[in-house]
Amino acid sequence: MEFEKLAPGFERIACGDMRLDVIDPDARVTEGPVWNRRTGEFFWVSITGSTIYKWSPGAGRSIVMHPSHKADGMTFDRQGRLVVAGWGWRRVWRRELDGSINTLCSHFDGVKFNSPNDIVIRSDGSIYFTDPPGALASVEMYGDDVQRYMDYCGVYRISPDGETTLAVKDLTYPNGLAFSPDESLLYINDTRDFVVNVFDVAPDGTLGNRRVFCEITGTDEGIPDGLKVDSEGNVYCTGPGGIHVFSAKGTMLGRLKVPAHVNNMGWGGDDWRSLFITSDTAVFRVRLGIPGTPTW
Amino acid sequence: MTWNFELVHGPLGRPLSGLAWDGSGMLFSDVNHSSIHRWDPVGRTISTARKYTNRTNGLAFGANGVYYGGQSGSRRIARFMPDGSANVPASRVSGLVHNTPYLLAVDRQERIWFSDPIHRAMISGPGPQRFPFLDHQSVLRLSRDERNVWGVERMTFDTRAPAGVAVSPDGKTLNVAESDNEREGVRELRAYSIADDGTLGTCLVLHTFGSDHRGLHRGIEGLCVDIQGNIIACAGGQSSGPGPLVYIFSPTGAILETHAVPADQPLNCAFGDAGLGSLYVTTTAGHLFRVPSTGRTGYLPFPQGGR
Repeated sequence: MEFEKLAPGFERIACGDMRLDVIDPDARVTEGPVWNRRTGEFFWVSITGSTIYKWSPGAGRSIVMHPSHKADGMTFDRQGRLVVAGWGWRRVWRRELDGSINTLCSHFDGVKFNSPNDIVIRSDGSIYFTDPPGALASVEMYGDDVQRYMDYCGVYRISPDGETTLAVKDLTYPNGLAFSPDESLLYINDTRDFVVNVFDVAPDGTLGNRRVFCEITGTDEGIPDGLKVDSEGNVYCTGPGGIHVFSAKGTMLGRLKVPAHVNNMGWGGDDWRSLFITSDTAVFRVRLGIPGTPTW
Repeated sequence: MTWNFELVHGPLGRPLSGLAWDGSGMLFSDVNHSSIHRWDPVGRTISTARKYTNRTNGLAFGANGVYYGGQSGSRRIARFMPDGSANVPASRVSGLVHNTPYLLAVDRQERIWFSDPIHRAMISGPGPQRFPFLDHQSVLRLSRDERNVWGVERMTFDTRAPAGVAVSPDGKTLNVAESDNEREGVRELRAYSIADDGTLGTCLVLHTFGSDHRGLHRGIEGLCVDIQGNIIACAGGQSSGPGPLVYIFSPTGAILETHAVPADQPLNCAFGDAGLGSLYVTTTAGHLFRVPSTGRTGYLPFPQGGR
């Protein structure tokens, strides 16, 4: 795999001859990468194929759910249940351990969400998700209702007791989001503004002190979409030409060059050092030097 | 008779596109602002009928207050429901995502005939264009089959730049503006016969647009029909030819009337007001004109009783 080192420290993440494995060569607009540490399986979605897949070494790929109603971002909660940003289905939902589906929320203040895009769960069990309008406008990502009703694109928090509150209202197109390892910060990128914003997370879960953490630049094809943080606090964001990696201080360390349009990425493997990359045309895996932040 | 083009709204400095009479008001598309507005000719007020339409161009009513839009930015026909929601009946032809649906007409059987040119500038979302365009630019038709399942069929096989479409009152003719203004292309008004099985026959060319040393004479963008099947069409511009005009063609192509539009590049036209005797005209620069008495009566299959 090609990469570009821009600052010291990147060699601890990527160095030498790294093999880029293709997990799924026949992918269609893949997203939602998440590792199930309980079963040792990697999960992802094809948005336009409306399918949730899983993969494990040896067993290969199998279908978890179809149709998945144009599902997008996914994560696991502390009970091992898949929690999904529904995108075309315009809700956040949970796949119970018995395979049944429960909608966690679909409206705020009586108004239907735009299209929940990506999702992360804090250690206290609260769920944060972004709600840009992309599924309503994007080609072939539609569900039953494509009318947008909200005049803003929010970031929401579902508390452990199930109450949904609006955490951030004034971003242009909030998309990928992830906590710092100590959960004191929440990073949220913005696909339209080409930046990663960072917020302080108060003990009660509210967000404040928004500032721009870094800009995403470059002339290659690619946009801020997925965002993740590794166990040392480095921030990974999709962008022109692949995956841009920043130190916790916001210095761009380097870039992982992916031969496809990358939508998101997530770590897995027993040591959390395998980075799975979901793209428009394939799902990849590459071994990195620093482990990712484990998913519950 | 001389027409009086009354400026109802604008110019906004951006195109106003499709028009649809809802029975008591005229809907019009504000394409670049992704919204649809409504002109109430009695109260003489304008309100926003719908937001976030993602570059919807053409508009036309079906039954029960439903209207359809050529949602170019999302490469589909949107079905706008009376409760404010919107859905997508189908978006692929022969398994492939179609191009950028533009202008449309609904017939008495509530089949939606629409032009499907490639308008790359209409697509503005972040990220890559994941679905290639078709290898043709045709008139397509969205309809329900006998099981009530929606599907899209290709109807023309000889178009390269279709724009406005209109079905004659007897349902036997599809009028199509073939308007390739970008290249040294064909700019014609065509009439295709509609067979009993719904397929199109060969076309008659009712009118051909020329060129002179100043350039191409801009072809027809939008068109509509009156109850006699005459074709009312917006064409021309100030840079060449006879200027911006509303033409009235007989069903066989005779030019019955022309009316100079007091602004450049008229885009679309539709009959409205009680009795459907007024004609509304939109332009590239964002005018909405109303011609209060045209001496003609518009043909609209829907809304039923809208006249």
